[in-house]
Amino acid sequence: MVSLEQSSDCRTIKGKNVGMQETPSEQLTAALVNVANNADKKAYAYLFSYFAPKIKRFGIKQFGSEAMAMELVQDTMTSVWRKAKLYHQDKGAATTWVYTIMRNASFDALRKVKSNKEDNLSEEIWPLFHDEQVCEKSFKDHLQTNQLKEKIKSLPAAQRDVVVGVYFEDMTQEQLAQHLGIPVGTVKSRLRLALKKLKVELGEQHD
Amino acid sequence: MIKYHPSKQLMQKHVAGELPVGLSVAIAAHIELCGACKLELDALESKQAEAAFTNSGSYSEEAAESSTEEDLAFEAMMNDITQLDMSSEMVPRVPQMFDYQDKSVQLPRAIAALKLGSFINAGKVSRARFELDEGPLRSSLLHIKPGGEIPEHTHTGFELTLLLDGSFEDESGSYVPGDFIMLDGRHNHTPKTEEGCLCFTLVDSALHFNKGLSKLLNPIGNLIY
Repeated sequence: MVSLEQSSDCRTIKGKNVGMQETPSEQLTAALVNVANNADKKAYAYLFSYFAPKIKRFGIKQFGSEAMAMELVQDTMTSVWRKAKLYHQDKGAATTWVYTIMRNASFDALRKVKSNKEDNLSEEIWPLFHDEQVCEKSFKDHLQTNQLKEKIKSLPAAQRDVVVGVYFEDMTQEQLAQHLGIPVGTVKSRLRLALKKLKVELGEQHD
Repeated sequence: MIKYHPSKQLMQKHVAGELPVGLSVAIAAHIELCGACKLELDALESKQAEAAFTNSGSYSEEAAESSTEEDLAFEAMMNDITQLDMSSEMVPRVPQMFDYQDKSVQLPRAIAALKLGSFINAGKVSRARFELDEGPLRSSLLHIKPGGEIPEHTHTGFELTLLLDGSFEDESGSYVPGDFIMLDGRHNHTPKTEEGCLCFTLVDSALHFNKGLSKLLNPIGNLIY
């Protein structure tokens, strides 16, 4: 008798000739499922090391700018992490899922360049799920928010302005650079420093 | 049944995210109404993904010579990202309705997301522009009352009509909701509707009205489309 049930054991495929494959599809998909279910940072690191350089080169081809290409990597890989829970294997391979996220981020970035619009239409043009939409929840934990605000106040003024502009006033890094009269690169580096500092402070208290 | 679909070439560019917004919105709206094109979209996405992300693909050739600087930048980026919350969740989407001529119609999602200007009326034809700011490309929502018709015209660029509700006819036949009708400079047509209709339209430059009195109406081209 032929069983109509799907085999629950897919592991037999794994581990064979892994190094020879053109695209290690099963490994990538397994890693993404692991990120989705367990927020597994090791699995994410594997996805990152596989996709990030390819996304960067795609971005350079698309925008002709290394800085914009790096932003594409950042946007795409951030969504891969944050939205991992929304991934289901029956929706297709991990490569397809990451590709659609990259394509959407790239589409929105091009629109920003061409028409100076930040309407992020890609999610409506290529919806992840037909009858639903992604709900981006910001901090719901008020205690943590308050604590965070205190910490932000204690940052050096230059770093504080950047954090407040980007996270509380929803300015883009470009707008902020113009507003403060400093290069975008400086905005980025100040932001990175500030976030590092905040992480250390908040992290210490959580431990 | 839907008879007119986006060409294979358009679908490929759509999947790659290379089309102007108005065009991709129209294709997305068509796909929402057409199961066959949805399947094609899924197949193309997985094919293009495969091509973009293979180890020997076009975006991998220089992978070997990644610099230390790049490695460090990537590492910092990855560490930043994994500090973020994974907090996305889904909520049911409320379909958006559009009212016209005593009817209430559910707009395709991609179209519903766009900002619509106010309607301008010219006889039986009403038109509102979508505020997409795409230069010579103009996307509009058009509705025509029963018995309405648009004078014969050709197009110097192209004209895309996606029928959303109702029906209309021209020299090539009649159309049903979901039909994706792409015309270029080689086509003349005089669309008319018996029962009235609602369309998404996209034109890439001024129309030419070429018949007798209609020539006087040439400015109407800019008005309607």
